[in-house]
Amino acid sequence: MELFLQTLVAGTLIGGLYAIIGIGMTLIMGVMGIINLAHGQILMVAMYITWVLWQYLGIDPYIGIIVAVPVVFYLGEGITKYLLHPLMEKDSIIPENQVLMTVGIGMVLVELVRSIFSSDYRSVQTSYTESIWRIGHISLSVPMVIAFVVALLLTLGLFLLLIRTDLGRSIRATAQDKDAAILMGVSAEKITILTFGIGSALTAAAGSLFLPIYYLYPDLGPIFTVKAFVITILGGLGSTVGAIAGGLVLGIAETFGATYISMGYRDAVGLVIFLLVLIFFPGGLKRLTKI
Amino acid sequence: MAKKSTKDTALVSKKEWMIILGLVVLPFVFNFSTYVQGLLVIMMIWVMLGTSWNLLAGYTGLVSFGHAAYFGIGAYTGGLLFFHFHISPWWGLLLGGPAAVILGYLLGIMVFRLRGPYFALGTLASAEILRIVFGEEEWLTNGHNGILYITTWTTKYPYYFIGLVLALGSIFTVKAVMRAKAGYYFLSIREDEDAAQALGIDTMKYKNISTVLSTFWAGTAGAFYMIYMGFIDPEVVFALHNISIITILVGIIGGVGTIWGPALGAAVMVFVQEFFRSAFFGLAPSWVSRLHALAFGLLVIFVILYLAGGIVGDWDIIRKALRFKRKTEIAE
Amino acid sequence: MKYIKTLLILILTAALMIGINGCGKKGHPQLKVGVLLPLTGSMANFGEMERNAFELAKAKINAERAKAGMDSIQFIYEDDTGKPDVGRAAMEKLINVNKVLMVTGGYSSSVTFTAAAVAQQYRTPFLVNTGSVDKITEPEAFNLTTNDGDKFYIYRLNPPVSEYASGLEGLLAEVVKPKSVFIIHENTAFGTKGAKAFQKSADKLGIKVLGVQSYSSGTIDFKPLLSQVKKANPDLVYMISYVMDAAQIMKQARELNLKPKLFVGAGAGFTMPAFKENAGVASRRVCSATLWHKALPIKGAKEFNDAFIAKYGGDGPDYHGAEAYSAAFVVDNVLKRCKGKYDKETVKKALDATDMMTVFGPVKFQAYGKKIHQNKMATYVVQWIHGDLKLIWPKNLANAQFEYPINWDKIWAE
Repeated sequence: MELFLQTLVAGTLIGGLYAIIGIGMTLIMGVMGIINLAHGQILMVAMYITWVLWQYLGIDPYIGIIVAVPVVFYLGEGITKYLLHPLMEKDSIIPENQVLMTVGIGMVLVELVRSIFSSDYRSVQTSYTESIWRIGHISLSVPMVIAFVVALLLTLGLFLLLIRTDLGRSIRATAQDKDAAILMGVSAEKITILTFGIGSALTAAAGSLFLPIYYLYPDLGPIFTVKAFVITILGGLGSTVGAIAGGLVLGIAETFGATYISMGYRDAVGLVIFLLVLIFFPGGLKRLTKI
Repeated sequence: MAKKSTKDTALVSKKEWMIILGLVVLPFVFNFSTYVQGLLVIMMIWVMLGTSWNLLAGYTGLVSFGHAAYFGIGAYTGGLLFFHFHISPWWGLLLGGPAAVILGYLLGIMVFRLRGPYFALGTLASAEILRIVFGEEEWLTNGHNGILYITTWTTKYPYYFIGLVLALGSIFTVKAVMRAKAGYYFLSIREDEDAAQALGIDTMKYKNISTVLSTFWAGTAGAFYMIYMGFIDPEVVFALHNISIITILVGIIGGVGTIWGPALGAAVMVFVQEFFRSAFFGLAPSWVSRLHALAFGLLVIFVILYLAGGIVGDWDIIRKALRFKRKTEIAE
Repeated sequence: MKYIKTLLILILTAALMIGINGCGKKGHPQLKVGVLLPLTGSMANFGEMERNAFELAKAKINAERAKAGMDSIQFIYEDDTGKPDVGRAAMEKLINVNKVLMVTGGYSSSVTFTAAAVAQQYRTPFLVNTGSVDKITEPEAFNLTTNDGDKFYIYRLNPPVSEYASGLEGLLAEVVKPKSVFIIHENTAFGTKGAKAFQKSADKLGIKVLGVQSYSSGTIDFKPLLSQVKKANPDLVYMISYVMDAAQIMKQARELNLKPKLFVGAGAGFTMPAFKENAGVASRRVCSATLWHKALPIKGAKEFNDAFIAKYGGDGPDYHGAEAYSAAFVVDNVLKRCKGKYDKETVKKALDATDMMTVFGPVKFQAYGKKIHQNKMATYVVQWIHGDLKLIWPKNLANAQFEYPINWDKIWAE
């Protein structure tokens, strides 16, 4: 029973982390229809920004969010404006050109970071990286709980942004029917760029929250890109609630797989769920929640 | 250029004979070091992979992000025969292709239900699952210990010529099929699958034909890799970035939907990377060598942004940009 | 037009190839020795330490050689990035382009093994100093027999992974007397072979193996695995991991309150300064098998440690540094015994006859069991005590009293 509970708790917490990484992607994929293969690399860049602030200026990673988020927001906007958006008007033989562009962007980001910081592993040590809360026999890592709570808050914030504000309505309109949105006076280009910026900024927040839990090296991106995909497909494109649910499902499924099947197959669990959802349940959890 | 190729009556045009001849005599003209010979062999493997991907993605519109699955199966076919039964992995060259075809067919049942980006993600996930399974099932694959085989020759020229034959085989397979009726069906599926179906084309059948040909050459490339490198492990042959993604980039740089594009893309990929890795042949300071992957990434961005058709597909643009003042009008 | 296009492409390609061909052909009067190390990638920590040690040794060796009027030694480093396929290409480059006399280095097991196959094929002596999977010095793996010593070009300075825990066995048998063990290992050649070897040791000592689980390097969350270990409740947790995974495992073990009698690492990550830094509190009192320690009564060990710290700062080298430093001196010794006749066969013969003392211990390449050209040596046990890596076993060599039993609640709480 204890093993079961501890597994459930660990799975939920890691699921929260996954969710916050996935939420940026679901927004980008939902609105722009772009598969962003540089998602993990953007996360990595945000982590390096946070790390540099901690290492050289002694700024706590959680405060570092204040810097990392806007920097990465503008990075995301720049990428869309100069690299992704120009492709939308261009005719190319395969429509996946934007996806491949993100591959190129990802490579460049990794190699730039590598040439500045080398491939060495980096990590931050703060007073709370090692603190633990215990409830009975169940233990909770403090930075993970913080990340989990912030993930929920960010989701809520994004949800309200999308539902309550004009900007949110424009984004949703663009996602549903781009041509109609343009006719209604929404500047699709502006919305697209902004959306990518917001998606990247959310990822940056995830990076800063993640740094005290894990460590950092230039090649860390792809693992998280794949996780973010699984969540996005599982939760349904563009669904914030779906992203949280998807993240939790993935986290819990993986952790139970690792505990009760085999640690080695941990990453395969998520991928199998992903394929099953893709084939038999297209639309993901969004089909149930409708938001 | 691609459009014109249908006008040629012979399968192998005069110009192509010239290229083939050039590649055959190349090693006799220059006294390459074994190191450069090695690069040429690696290039042949990328030519096969890129060409194979191009048939599926560039001509049929099925953009695979999981070509490592077929490459890996091809490599492991020879590898496992050697590991379990001590049969020479050279047999893999015969069997690797068919094994990949079987896998391609099975995966096809699953992923052909998916369209566009979902197809891409489905193939990506399939290859990743295979990578994990091949790493975990140690009784079958020797897991992460990999499979080592002492290669047949230390000299590389035999590999170069075998690789050349295989690479040309893949290129002319694509050329031949694109000249046949099937080729037109492939293109119609790429342009609009629903319309193709409405016109009475059995799209499933032609998607499968395209997959069979494509996966065969990807598997053969993998088998050849095993024979040449003498070592495989799941992280190497099922790699997401180093195989699946680089394969796509090779196709993109050379030119999607062109016969010779992926071949040129492979050459550019291998030699641009090496150009930087060797710090411009030792002319530049050594830190330049660390930028080889960055240079390739920038090249990818540049090509997608300005040469959406790749080097071969957009040759006219390149020519104009370079102010190639030749008697172009007359020649056309 | 068409022809011009083709011609242009051909000329460009040709020019490119001639260029590549040309590089690396500059003559050097020095004795060229290749060094294969992971200088970037996940194992760069170790590669960096070993390169520093090689450089430190080179300065000393070449100063002496200059005094005696001998040719100096040049180490040519090639980065294998920790990947077997890159390692193969790097080895080929060292042999064919740099035309080295011999190669040394070799860090990760799988890279070293595949690179060894290349060296063997080109009949180039390869003195392995870290790669530890057993088959590297087993001629059987290269289609040879143990009688083919004159055809086998691979030599190894460090003990194979199956002997890593030999020093530990004493500690377990005499002091800890554990009844059960849980083995956690990275899913690489080094990890799986190390786990198998320790299972054998456990059988010998009558320790029950409660479970063996593997993980892939870079895992974020070890808690499912560690919860399982906790449920099994072993006396001993034996871990085969590189440095960042090692730190994550210990941090999360502390989080889960996993309290066996002893945590033991199989060398690799657990002796590195970076382990202490990253695991923090959780690194305390963790034991590890090791192949070397600065406190060992070996001539030059302490001097090497001090010189290393003086030049590179930090906490000083662990066994990886000592292996590299010693390999450099073996190379020097071997080349001296070539007596000015510098070709691969002479070098190989000199390697065969090696019998010398290094800071790592005595070096002599022997044949035993399935292995030939293997240096035999003792291994030791270290423990992190008050932020320092102390040598605790064997008892007569120890520089600190080992701490056992361990009150984890108290140790982890501070």
